Amino acid sequence: MSQFLLLFLVFFPTVCAPVSYLIGRKSKGMRNYFVAVVTGLELAAAVLLMTSGEAAVRLDGVCGLGLGFAADGFRCLMTLIAAIGWFEATLMLREYFAHSRNRNRYYVFWLLTLTGTVGVFLSADLFTTFVFFEVMSFASWVMVIHTEKPDAIKAAETYLAVAVIGGLVTLMGIFLLYHLLGTLEINSLYHAASAVESNGALWVAGLLTLVGFAAKAGSFPLHIWLPTAHSAAPAPASAVLSGVIIKTGIFGILVLSTQVFRYDYNWGIVMLALGVITMVLGAVLAVFSIDLKRTLACSSVSQIGFILTGIAMQCLLGHHNAMAVDGTLLHIVNHASVKLILFPAAGVIYCTTHTFDLNKIRGFGKGKPLLMLVMGIPMASLAGVPGLNGYVSKTLLHESIVEYIHLVPQTAGLFTAVEWAFLFAGGLTAAYMLKLFICIFIQSPAEEAHWAGKKKYASKLSMGTLAGLVAVMPVMGLLPNKVMDGLAALGRGFMHGEAPAHAAEYFAWANLKGSLISLCIGVAVYLLIIRPFLTVRDCTGVSYPDRWPQKLDLETGLYRPLLCVILPFIGAFFARVAEGIVEGTVHLLSDLLYRGQTRNVCPPEDEEFAAYDAKPKSRVGFRYSFAYSIILMGIGLSLTLLYVLFKG
Amino acid sequence: MLMLISVLFPILSGFALLLSGTEDRHRREVWVIATAVFTAGLAIAAVLTGYGTKTVLVRFTQTVALTFGADGLGSVFAAMVSVLWVIASFYALEYMKHEGAETRFFGFFLASFGVTLGVAFSANIVTMYLFYELLTLATLPLVMHAMNGKARYAGKTYILYSMTGAGLGFVSMIFLQYYGGGDFTLGGTLDMNAIAGSENTMLLFFVLGFFGFGVKAAIFPFHGWLLDASVAPTPVTALLHAVAVVKSGVFAVMRLTYYSFHYEAIFGTWAQVIVVCAAAFTVVYGSANGLRTPHFKRRLAYSTVSNLSYILVGVAMMTPAGLVAGVAHMLFHAVNKITLFFGCGAVYYRTHKEYVYELAYIGKEMPVTMATFAATALSLMGVPPLCGFTSKWMLGTAAMGTGLTVGWIGAGALIISALLTALYLMSILFAVYAPGEKPIHAENKDPNWLMKGPLVALACLCVAVSLFAHPLLELVSQLLGVLL
Repeated sequence: MSQFLLLFLVFFPTVCAPVSYLIGRKSKGMRNYFVAVVTGLELAAAVLLMTSGEAAVRLDGVCGLGLGFAADGFRCLMTLIAAIGWFEATLMLREYFAHSRNRNRYYVFWLLTLTGTVGVFLSADLFTTFVFFEVMSFASWVMVIHTEKPDAIKAAETYLAVAVIGGLVTLMGIFLLYHLLGTLEINSLYHAASAVESNGALWVAGLLTLVGFAAKAGSFPLHIWLPTAHSAAPAPASAVLSGVIIKTGIFGILVLSTQVFRYDYNWGIVMLALGVITMVLGAVLAVFSIDLKRTLACSSVSQIGFILTGIAMQCLLGHHNAMAVDGTLLHIVNHASVKLILFPAAGVIYCTTHTFDLNKIRGFGKGKPLLMLVMGIPMASLAGVPGLNGYVSKTLLHESIVEYIHLVPQTAGLFTAVEWAFLFAGGLTAAYMLKLFICIFIQSPAEEAHWAGKKKYASKLSMGTLAGLVAVMPVMGLLPNKVMDGLAALGRGFMHGEAPAHAAEYFAWANLKGSLISLCIGVAVYLLIIRPFLTVRDCTGVSYPDRWPQKLDLETGLYRPLLCVILPFIGAFFARVAEGIVEGTVHLLSDLLYRGQTRNVCPPEDEEFAAYDAKPKSRVGFRYSFAYSIILMGIGLSLTLLYVLFKG
Repeated sequence: MLMLISVLFPILSGFALLLSGTEDRHRREVWVIATAVFTAGLAIAAVLTGYGTKTVLVRFTQTVALTFGADGLGSVFAAMVSVLWVIASFYALEYMKHEGAETRFFGFFLASFGVTLGVAFSANIVTMYLFYELLTLATLPLVMHAMNGKARYAGKTYILYSMTGAGLGFVSMIFLQYYGGGDFTLGGTLDMNAIAGSENTMLLFFVLGFFGFGVKAAIFPFHGWLLDASVAPTPVTALLHAVAVVKSGVFAVMRLTYYSFHYEAIFGTWAQVIVVCAAAFTVVYGSANGLRTPHFKRRLAYSTVSNLSYILVGVAMMTPAGLVAGVAHMLFHAVNKITLFFGCGAVYYRTHKEYVYELAYIGKEMPVTMATFAATALSLMGVPPLCGFTSKWMLGTAAMGTGLTVGWIGAGALIISALLTALYLMSILFAVYAPGEKPIHAENKDPNWLMKGPLVALACLCVAVSLFAHPLLELVSQLLGVLL
């Protein structure tokens, strides 16, 4: 039964994708219901799988190496999150898409992306992971390019470039891993890896494999696609991109970190460096952003940094990694739940205002208490306010760093710095959330805003869906030992975490202190940096100028010139040299043979194809050429003679 | 016997068509389709009934004879050619309506079918060489079909390159005949005792032969003809320059490497280094040039150059796994590339657009054509779970599996080229579906079913092959006598 469920979860959306297209040709309304039912069934299947325990199934021989799927606590949980995300976003799409074009195309790829994502989460070996990872990358590309506006096309180009390059580098890494380990079965990677003698080769393989997954997760320095792609995609698509799809990258990184490099100190340090840079950088970008969706996207980058830090601590803490494992898993869950609400809520704002620019949506939420709750609670949760779910996972992650400082006093200095970076990034989270909240709900709208008079801003279905999800957060946050610890236990099998010695006391002063420090930093940043430097007040009210220096954009500053100018130049140079050698030889010989003859070949007229003249010319200089040939032949014979003479 | 008939029948039928000089379009259509279908049926029947048997047509000396036989590799090749030829015939009938001189075209078109089957069913290198050269001659009129400046130039280039290759291949053939000869067998026909002591000579002749037969497989530096030849009408480019002729080149290299020379004796030698490096270079070179080429068909031709060398990389690994991977890519690339060329030809046929930058919103004007194009383009890029990915995975693992440095070079080239492939094909898809311009009012310009049918059939074939890649490849490796 659970084997059937596994296959059903993975392939059901794919089977339904063409059906939805056909239905959509006839009736748009029917198609919307159909897709909602499909994602609903997917959700039901995910819940069933959750209750039916572990299972595994293999499809031998498909795609070369065969596909393998497995279900354990962690995989089921991730699948459940994906299914919830898709179901919710599908419900939200109806309103968001009311006036959009190409919806049929969108829904086909929407379902294909679901297959890809669920396939990654349920994969039992890295090969399967990769196959579905690629399916998802390509299918979700259509979601990014959906509007076909210039910025969407540019974002889609970047998205595709990062996905393709990252995917291929990962493929190379998987080749190497397969070559070194002889297996890609996730559960046997650890044993195979510990038997490998050449550590260097394993590291090369591991780092190559990491690239694609890290790029998808949005880790520095490959995060460049994430802010633009999230901004360009329709808001419900951004929700699953941010809430679910980037977690597939985390899945891959977890396989590497908890299997191939389990308890490996050096790997932990690499992940820690990535994590710390990503979490601080993403938060700084978010503070500077003046676009609602872009802020949320940069926030996703930052939260991935938090998760990576948790993964790093798992590697560093070795067998004492209980808190890091729990914290990582819970932060994945919390971030997903927060972003699955905030992005669609941003979409609700967009439906009325048709913009995400903070200057234009300023004050939209004034007098809309339900929207204030729906957006305010997830914001506070992500900022780590005690009593909400975000606080729990951040506390666990923070405590894992503190624990390492106690365990290994030699490196206490470094890790105290990491701890402060962590608290600082948490503070920035609070700061940019505060900025968004004040902008949308406290400040008054500009007078010319066309939506100012409207009362109705969203359908009951949309707001009901969102409110239902939000209601879970305080429950999770106020009863952490009952709800959150149970969730955390699901991840231990996959990540090889030990159960903690005793239940954590989340509301002890030592734990509350970290959160309070962060929140204080956040308020300070808001008051001392954002208000004086990132806002302008004049007679019409407050406005938000874009103060982020353009030069610091990695994409236009480094990647695009490198990929579009420098590498093509090098490639063209070598290609032309190679071509020149061949063509040069041919030209030399033909000049020698046809000396004195007029040439009747036109140079390529359109730089593509060479051609003869329309009217063939008569051969001239035949006699001359004949004599010349005899001379050439004579030289050849003389050389042969010389060779024969001097050889002996 | 069936083999012989399947080789001779289309040749005779083609010449009969030429002699009749009929101008009646309907009669010609029936003639062409009947011959193609009947021949394909004969060839497949020959494979099924005559698998493993041999027929000697003429015996000149003890070791030199014209012999036909259907072993694993030949059967796979013959089956591939037969299926694709029939599909291409329908497409060609529609496409050639505006090109003129149709009778001449279809005469040689049918004759080429027989000659290609001759290459497939040759049981020794002399027979194969004969048909290999006949193929050059039979396809030359097809390349030069338009008879304008470009086409004549392309024809001359084609014949010069082919003759060069023939010369090199001939040298190698003589060596093989001298030190062994006889019918193809997996593992080689050479008498290794006689060669002992002069291994380097053998390697030299192997390299000469590899490049000689590699001319038709467009290995660098012998790739120039294939690009110029893309001035030929699209059915020719699609069928001959993505499937029949170039795959005959690859097929001949496989015959040479695995069935004439001892591949184990070449494994790990300098000769292998040379051929792998040449193939790996061509892989990257072709893709890089594809990326910079704005001419639609020529870009696909560069892509063919690159993909043929994928196969050669597999072949040059000198392991059975490499051979199977090469055959897999030969099959999958054939299905994918013929569809891509057909799509490109359909665009030209309906809109006369030749350059990638002219293709804005063609995806909205020709939805069916471009859907098939997109599906096979994704497959060629190697997007799992489509078949292009499967064969690339096999090539990569085969290359890594050798444990040699050249294996790394091969695998590295595959990865770099995969990136370039994605770029040059995705940029077409970008142009076709999302050019970023104001959408125009699109009227449906899809061609009629005679042209659309083959496209849809091929795209379905691509998906079917992707789904059933494993049983198919197991069958192939069983036929080759190689255990995966």
